[in-house]
Amino acid sequence: MAEAPGMNRRALLSGGLRGLGLLGIGTATGALATRDKRDDEVWQIDPDACIQCGLCATECVLEISAVKTVHSHGMCGYCELCTGYFEPDPVNLDEGAENQLCPTGAIERTYIEHPYYEYRIKPDLCVGCGKCVKGCNMFGNGSLYLQVNHDRCVDCNRCAIATACPAEAFRLVPRSEPYLLRGKEEA
Amino acid sequence: MAEQRSEPDSGRRRLLRATLWGGGLAGLGALGGIGVKRLTQDPPAPKRPPLGPEFTYDVSRFQTSDPGLIQWRELSRFPSGLERPRNLCTTPGGHILVCGDDGIRRFDADGRELGFSPIQGRVHAVAVLPDESLLAGLPDQVQVIAPDGKVRAVWELEDVLPTSIAVADSRIFLADAHARVIRVLDLEGRPLQTIGQRDPDKGIEGFVVPSPYFCVRAAPDGLLRIANPGKHTIEAWTTDGDLELAWGRASFAIDGFCGCCNPVSFALLPDGGYVTGEKGLPRVKTYDECGAFTGIVAGTESFPEYVQATQAGTPEAASAGIYVVVDAAGRVLILDAIGGTVRIMVRKEDGDG
Repeated sequence: MAEAPGMNRRALLSGGLRGLGLLGIGTATGALATRDKRDDEVWQIDPDACIQCGLCATECVLEISAVKTVHSHGMCGYCELCTGYFEPDPVNLDEGAENQLCPTGAIERTYIEHPYYEYRIKPDLCVGCGKCVKGCNMFGNGSLYLQVNHDRCVDCNRCAIATACPAEAFRLVPRSEPYLLRGKEEA
Repeated sequence: MAEQRSEPDSGRRRLLRATLWGGGLAGLGALGGIGVKRLTQDPPAPKRPPLGPEFTYDVSRFQTSDPGLIQWRELSRFPSGLERPRNLCTTPGGHILVCGDDGIRRFDADGRELGFSPIQGRVHAVAVLPDESLLAGLPDQVQVIAPDGKVRAVWELEDVLPTSIAVADSRIFLADAHARVIRVLDLEGRPLQTIGQRDPDKGIEGFVVPSPYFCVRAAPDGLLRIANPGKHTIEAWTTDGDLELAWGRASFAIDGFCGCCNPVSFALLPDGGYVTGEKGLPRVKTYDECGAFTGIVAGTESFPEYVQATQAGTPEAASAGIYVVVDAAGRVLILDAIGGTVRIMVRKEDGDG
């Protein structure tokens, strides 16, 4: 009889603590799961994690995705058969539409001097499908890769593409350094 | 007694249970509340159909070989034992050396391991000197390893990435993927000259080396054979630096080389022909001494792990090669950097499948 009240007080105390703990865990989980993107952060793609699945083209809240291919001119290997620009086994290695890999014609190829060409992305035409990036990564050195174009991105708190990304390649980065670039590149 | 104690106990248990439920529900409420609040701030994601086939990069039609062209069969294979194998060579005594991150492993001709030389760093190339010392090519240096396994010398080479090393006529020919030239050294590591520097006056365009795949071999005819991987050619150069001839064409077709950096590796066959290793579409093929395609040693379908890794788009796959050498018996040895194995290939004989 003498022990029962003490035990019950302990049980009440420990139960209360457990309840409070659970509440804390729930709140913390909630806060983490819906972590507020701070004003000084933006979403960006880690090119080393990207697997070019194509979802960037379909999951963005914008009609035409804010994700665009960028090209690192410094890294580019200037391959004669550029697998980011040409269809596999093209008819000719020239700018004919039948030879180009990009379904929207978003890559511009300019002759510099033999055997070098410069490749530039036309952001208005690029839909962010990553087809050219796949070709460059599979056969080249990865100088073509995808980035969120912050001139177009509407800066969602929870990026719809990041939510869908199977490779978890989207990261929050400082707004002051909004790109995860390879080498020195121009869009 | 037991009944008297159970009544207040059951009341407190109900209170505890209620507290626990309350806490949990409050947490869930917080979760849901925060989530809904945040999500409603963003524009709704429109439902779009998946991309059409024109947006898919598809090279599947090149990943199966014509069985009639496969003229070699796998005799055996063995694991390289290196986390990240990067190249291989054979010794005059018939041993097989495989280099990679952390060192060089030595195997006999059947793939039994004989020893390991630990080296700190990425060993991109390995070769054997006439005195049987090993040359290990690392970023910005070459290490000379004496036959007893001790490092005899370290040649510091600023901004040099040696991806292949050939030794001939008391000279060392080092393919430097960083400067895109062949550096010629004497046997003590002193620089003698460079080969292949861009020189428009001499009509030399220079080597196009998009990534660290740049292979050089010394041929019995006294010329060097050098891969120009960005141009998809193999070129013959004199040891004094004159371009003699080049062969190879850019194509995904079986007789061509595609993408960048192909062939990533090649070796000379006893009949004067070539065996080539390619990345992207992993395949090993043979060409005659004039560069005409003659057959397949191992087709793309022989490298399922490699194909899977490249299709998944992993960074490891983007920087892994298929390396080849020919041993004194004329067998082709293939190092698959993704699979991590060395395959010993021999020519099919009549009756082989």
